[in-house]
Amino acid sequence: MRIPSPSKSFLRVGSLLLLAGLLSATAAFAAGPPIDWDPAYCWQDGGTPYNLPAGGQFQMVGNVSAFDVPFGDYNAGDPTKEYTFYVSGLISNGTVTIGSPGSQIFETHYSGGTFVLYEDSTPDMAYSPFPPNVQNFTDGTLLLSGSFSSFVVQTNDFTAYQTGNIEGALDWTGGLLVDRTVGCTGLLTGGMTWNSAVVIPGYLFRDDGKIDLQCPTPAGGSTWGRIKSLYR
Amino acid sequence: MPRMRPLLAVGCALLLSFASLAHADTLLFDYVGFDYESPDPNPATFGEMGSGYVGLGTVPGLFAPLVADTSANEYTYVITGLTPTGTSTVGSYLIVDYSVGTLSIYEDSKTTGTTADYGMAPPNATAPSTFTDGTLFLTGQLTGFQFVFNTDTNTGSYNASYTVTGGSQIVNFPLYQRDGWTFAGTSGNALSIPDGYIHQVDGQNFLGPVPARSSSWGRIKANYR
Repeated sequence: MRIPSPSKSFLRVGSLLLLAGLLSATAAFAAGPPIDWDPAYCWQDGGTPYNLPAGGQFQMVGNVSAFDVPFGDYNAGDPTKEYTFYVSGLISNGTVTIGSPGSQIFETHYSGGTFVLYEDSTPDMAYSPFPPNVQNFTDGTLLLSGSFSSFVVQTNDFTAYQTGNIEGALDWTGGLLVDRTVGCTGLLTGGMTWNSAVVIPGYLFRDDGKIDLQCPTPAGGSTWGRIKSLYR
Repeated sequence: MPRMRPLLAVGCALLLSFASLAHADTLLFDYVGFDYESPDPNPATFGEMGSGYVGLGTVPGLFAPLVADTSANEYTYVITGLTPTGTSTVGSYLIVDYSVGTLSIYEDSKTTGTTADYGMAPPNATAPSTFTDGTLFLTGQLTGFQFVFNTDTNTGSYNASYTVTGGSQIVNFPLYQRDGWTFAGTSGNALSIPDGYIHQVDGQNFLGPVPARSSSWGRIKANYR
């Protein structure tokens, strides 16, 4: 049966409100991030933790360790599958150095870039040796894809354990689960380190991060009747 | 001389093995949550003198020598006791150094315990209390806790040394293997941050390497005669 377009819009808006309400509620009750990983590894040819030259491409491969709402029906711990992602196409705008040696900060912004997440029923990804075989992180079923609208890498020369962070904003573009992100953008966040005690040789950074869904203002309490009346 | 070759090979392998152990830190646990300040003498400022840094959240990943049952129990963490000892700025970056604090993990039954609940405007009726109920699973001292935050991008990180000092799991930590470190990314940009919390936090704790004991070539050879 063909659904008349006003009803479609109504259902779409209703779904959005329900998703926003669900995400709002789960945040209060200590749900995990929608997508969490441990670890991911990053590299940029010709780059160092303190200088990621302009024009260079930043890349990252990772393995999802946990899913939660709205992807909570996926089990990252299933040994018959692997959930891997690949970040690529981020082009450095050059590293800006702030401060004096011993208290210096290195900030690098990027343009472009994409994120893809795959479910693979033939687990085969490996971080080592460097460089990784990216094909083993991008095989299987495409669950999500997105484009970065911003991306920043922040490092320094003074933290005791060589730690900083990476953050990027994502617009979702496709994949099997893209309908679960309707009305929301993505936020890739997390800490990273270039401490050689935990970074595989060849990579620049080990990243401990996640992706959150950035949804519209959380819904307040309401009834289905009230929601319907808003759109009559 | 040919008899010495196997001995030399074993010795070299041992040295390489020790070198490897001495180099690698191992992941102990992985945590995600949110932070806030209490007390908070100036709510408009982060890291001001007289404030207290508190972190709360869940611990989805726990690794050896920890022995956990994540299907039966909820694991939560609490960072507390940290007060600023100094602040500085580098461009748009705020750097806050803190006093000694603690990072503790609690184990709470999923069937008989209370689900962790951030609530709003912490401390409140459920936070931190629903994060500290159950059994004290692991606790340790944080030293050199340093928070670096870019007020332009609204993101940052922290790191600190960590020494295991107690909890039900301490029996799994030999005296020579209780030191490690923690770090986390922090962001004020997430729309999922509950009201009254400041940043979301995604962090990890590593356990330092098993220290290699000093020895002599003669002693090593003697072990294989």
